[in-house]
Amino acid sequence: MSVVAAILLDQVSKKFPDGTLAVADVNLEISDGEFVILVGPSGCGKSTTLNMIAGLEDVSSGDIFIDGERVNDRPPKDRDIAMVFQSYALYPNMTVRGNISFPLRLAKMDKREIERRVREVAHILELEPLLDRKPANLSGGQRQRVAMGRAIVRSPKAFLMDEPLSNLDAKLRVQMRTQLSRLQKRLGTTTVYVTHDQTEAMTLGDRVVVMRAGRVQQVGPPQELYDHPINLFVAGFIGSPAMNFLPARLTNGKLHTALGDLPMDDRMRGALTSAERTSDDLILGIRPEHFEDASLVDEHVYDTGVIFEAEPDVVESMGSDKYVYFALDVERAQARELEELAAETGTELTTGGLQLVTRFSAESAASEGRTVRVWVNIDKAHLFDPDTGRNLTR
Amino acid sequence: MAAYGEVTTARKWRWGLIDLVVVVVVLIPVLWIVSLSLKTPETLTDGSLIPREWTLDNYRSIFSTGLFTRALINSIGIALIATAVAVLLGMMAAYAVARLDFPGKRLLVGVSLLIAMFPQISLVTPLFEIERVLRLFDTWPGLILPYITFSLPLAIYTLSAFFRQIPWDLEKAAKMDGATQAQAFRMVVAPLAAPGLVTTAILVFIFCWNDFLFAVSLTSTEASRTAPVALSFFTGESQFEDPTGTISAAAVVITIPIITFVLLFQRRIVSGLTAGSVKG
Repeated sequence: MSVVAAILLDQVSKKFPDGTLAVADVNLEISDGEFVILVGPSGCGKSTTLNMIAGLEDVSSGDIFIDGERVNDRPPKDRDIAMVFQSYALYPNMTVRGNISFPLRLAKMDKREIERRVREVAHILELEPLLDRKPANLSGGQRQRVAMGRAIVRSPKAFLMDEPLSNLDAKLRVQMRTQLSRLQKRLGTTTVYVTHDQTEAMTLGDRVVVMRAGRVQQVGPPQELYDHPINLFVAGFIGSPAMNFLPARLTNGKLHTALGDLPMDDRMRGALTSAERTSDDLILGIRPEHFEDASLVDEHVYDTGVIFEAEPDVVESMGSDKYVYFALDVERAQARELEELAAETGTELTTGGLQLVTRFSAESAASEGRTVRVWVNIDKAHLFDPDTGRNLTR
Repeated sequence: MAAYGEVTTARKWRWGLIDLVVVVVVLIPVLWIVSLSLKTPETLTDGSLIPREWTLDNYRSIFSTGLFTRALINSIGIALIATAVAVLLGMMAAYAVARLDFPGKRLLVGVSLLIAMFPQISLVTPLFEIERVLRLFDTWPGLILPYITFSLPLAIYTLSAFFRQIPWDLEKAAKMDGATQAQAFRMVVAPLAAPGLVTTAILVFIFCWNDFLFAVSLTSTEASRTAPVALSFFTGESQFEDPTGTISAAAVVITIPIITFVLLFQRRIVSGLTAGSVKG
């Protein structure tokens, strides 16, 4: 017996009447029980993709299959999927019980069965004392749980979630994130989850789909995306604080950068000879945790990296580790994808040179205005082609 | 000095006084007509606000002939039917205006507002000619149709403001929960728009009920003559009798339904009129 994907998107595109291409050629295979995250900056087409799976938006071209059946022309009610909205979209004129039982009542289910299921769901989500309240009298977290309850009560084939946690305050969001993950594992229902928050993407998903301008950039487990980003965009989007990007120039087999001339290891050399590239100008990408206070690094690992000296600009102690910022007096790396990322986070407004973010161990004695020796782990660095944005060392 | 917006005692008194003056100016004619309707013909012109001799004869006499009763029935029937149709059509149009983006939407809203602003007096003659040809003159539909025409813009305007306040997500959620478009409208949107529907219905009803111009020009007999017009046709039993008393009594009678409505729903009406301007 062949395994049928729970949800399959085959070259799905969405073109709006005004001509904008919101989603372009998305291919995605989601297996049964999988938790898949669509992530990307606003306007990247992730919500449109979700709405097309839901049936709330028409598909311009391509096909969507749910459980092996083509559903392009089916209205939402005939797709047997439930959705949780960012606004929760609770019916204000109905009680919590009325909200949760709404899908069952529409399905003309037996009254006693409805009551049994509502009780069960209320028990799972700890909503029992609230069943007779109206949504207006609930807190944000409670509303969110009611919205979840309405989705899980009819045991649909899949859950679609459109930024369900983004209206909660930070602390509650982290709490709900764990609960959500637990709930999904327990129910084992296929879930497609849209978010613009890379932390949610990293922590929740079995697999993450990074989208940009309507196109899928990379699909994979969170760790793979983190360790082996396919291009500048994914590298910069996944991870917080973000990866550092430095302009680098290939001269005499060494990388000339603001951190000094860096030697290349075999991995880099191999990547550079095999990959097609347009010039010797490259972008070097290093994650904050691949820097360390040189005085804390064991002698025998010195060789895997290089050491440079710099004066910390700002030191933020997080308790468990220290974020040390260096303002380097060089141009920032230039690439279209980096500009897009900067526009998304609002950092394109910061003027001046390059800001390097590093993460040191908590024991580091680094402080503002005192030059420290910094060790960089070159093993984990990435090299990108500034023109195509492609990761050459993947 | 008191800061702007701060409520001081002096400020309270000043506004209280202004409010009182306005209320008195507005209410005196109403009190006067109530007083007139309760006076006997002999004391009618005595100039006193409080009748010296109280009588209900005027009320008895307007209901004695059946002419006024018939006009009341016409008024109620015509206003109710026009209201029902206008609210129903207005609801559908307003829903489309609020929810859909279709070519010519702005034009539609613009034209409907234009109709509301058009001086009605300039349409009376053409309407009269049209209705005579179509044999609608002096019939219920002959009044119901123009009433619907002129109240629809108001209905569309207020209702679309209400529909716009209902988050679209609710409808999407209902569809995801398994509802058809019609079910989503009936079970989710309509209950939430109910206050808007009530407000609109009352406003349209008041417009139809109060109309005099169309009613006087497009009717000729008691077959369709409405109460405000019937009232203007009151004459004394003989040419020497002054109909002021009976006219006053009739005027009081036709005011009662409006006052009742407004008192019952005043909160709703205010929120209906300001919907859209504040939140929409």
